[in-house]
Amino acid sequence: MTADLSIGAMISMYALMLIPLAILFYLQLGIIRETLIAMVRMTVQLVLVGLYLKYIFQLNSPAVSLLWVAVMLVVANLSILNKAGLKRGLFFWRSLAGVAGSTLFVSGWFILIAIRPDPLYDARYLIPITGMILGNCLRSNVLSLERFYSGIRKNENEFMTYLMLGANLREAVRPYLRDAVKAAINPSVATMGTMGIVSLPGMMTGQILGGALPMTAIKYQIGIMICIFVAMVIAAFLNILLSLPVAFDDHQRLKQNIFCTKP
Amino acid sequence: MIEFRNIRLEIHRQTLLDGANLHIANGDKLVVRGASGCGKSSLLKSVIGALPIAEGSIGIEGTELSAATVQEIRSRIAFIGQEPVLGTEIVRDALLLPFSFKAHRGTAPTEEHIVERVERLHLSADILDKTCSRISGGEKQRIAIIRALLLNKSIFLADEVTSALDPQSRAAVMEELFRPEITLLSVSHDPEWIKGCNRIVEFNTAQLREVAK
Repeated sequence: MTADLSIGAMISMYALMLIPLAILFYLQLGIIRETLIAMVRMTVQLVLVGLYLKYIFQLNSPAVSLLWVAVMLVVANLSILNKAGLKRGLFFWRSLAGVAGSTLFVSGWFILIAIRPDPLYDARYLIPITGMILGNCLRSNVLSLERFYSGIRKNENEFMTYLMLGANLREAVRPYLRDAVKAAINPSVATMGTMGIVSLPGMMTGQILGGALPMTAIKYQIGIMICIFVAMVIAAFLNILLSLPVAFDDHQRLKQNIFCTKP
Repeated sequence: MIEFRNIRLEIHRQTLLDGANLHIANGDKLVVRGASGCGKSSLLKSVIGALPIAEGSIGIEGTELSAATVQEIRSRIAFIGQEPVLGTEIVRDALLLPFSFKAHRGTAPTEEHIVERVERLHLSADILDKTCSRISGGEKQRIAIIRALLLNKSIFLADEVTSALDPQSRAAVMEELFRPEITLLSVSHDPEWIKGCNRIVEFNTAQLREVAK
């Protein structure tokens, strides 16, 4: 079992935050308030998740676990659209289909084909694995959607030129799609390339602290990294493709009312 | 043939044209004149569905511009803007770009054909290996024109395409675009260009009025 952290130990961890806060104050960066709010949110959210997960793991009911996964997917989807600056009302269902499709497919593959826990719907596997994959998909989808639509918006003349030269919509958006997917997966490729040397991955570290054998932890880490990468690429690609019919009019012009902000 | 029927054109809630009509026959060389910002470029863009018209209809060689026909119409028309976008890094790739699209696949020109076209517009074949961002505005305009000519299009929409050209290059461009088989709808302030056109139309109180030559 992992050694528990006492209240005193947690206070000492929060005390460590005083150092960066002092530096931020000295630099007059004006983000101290935001940092404190983020800290409080993180604490409250994680404490609540800890409480929920305790009961969800005890219940170990497939319906409750799937409901929890559905909540994670909806929250992630709303966050993606907000951060990408796209109107939620227009893209919600399409974006949800992209994120849910890729996350559930890949986590299903990992759990049902590779791990095969008993029972297969074991919440201790289903929730953390889906959560890790979804968290990474969230980041990559924000990057890809934002890069894709801002790319076309900023280069409208170039985009229209492709159409004028005979490209259909799929052909005209391809350069922006390429850029967007690249932007979404670049950080992950860099992380994978340095894993084990520069960074010690969270899942592996967590399992070792939890008492797992290092080789078992490493195998899980390799599995989760492949899952994250596959889900990120599928989600970034699928989400953009699914959004096209909403974002362009019947003359293949980018609609301006899809954005939350004016250019 | 291009036909504007009772078109109303609006930009940012400002009416540029209201109930305007214009018939451009095959082989016509028509130039549109008017004050800056009156909507000349917008008129050209409306023909290829880049800018929506509020009312009326546009017909191109008997085909009404609509969602169903817009792609086919775009593949028949060449649009060359004042600051053309070449869309690739290297000039040769820019000339071959349209042939990578499904609509033109399998019809790519030969190297000799490309070089011949390039030289006809007073450019050296060396330009083909240059980076698009390193060539001048006038060279870009001519590359965009060559690209359209390589596609064998018969309708040209040209927005101030001689603005960055010297007299010799302009004459070469005019020789290419003023051929009898080409229908040309253009915007220009260039006296030589206007002189070469057989029709002049002016923007006047939200209408298009033909001016006698």
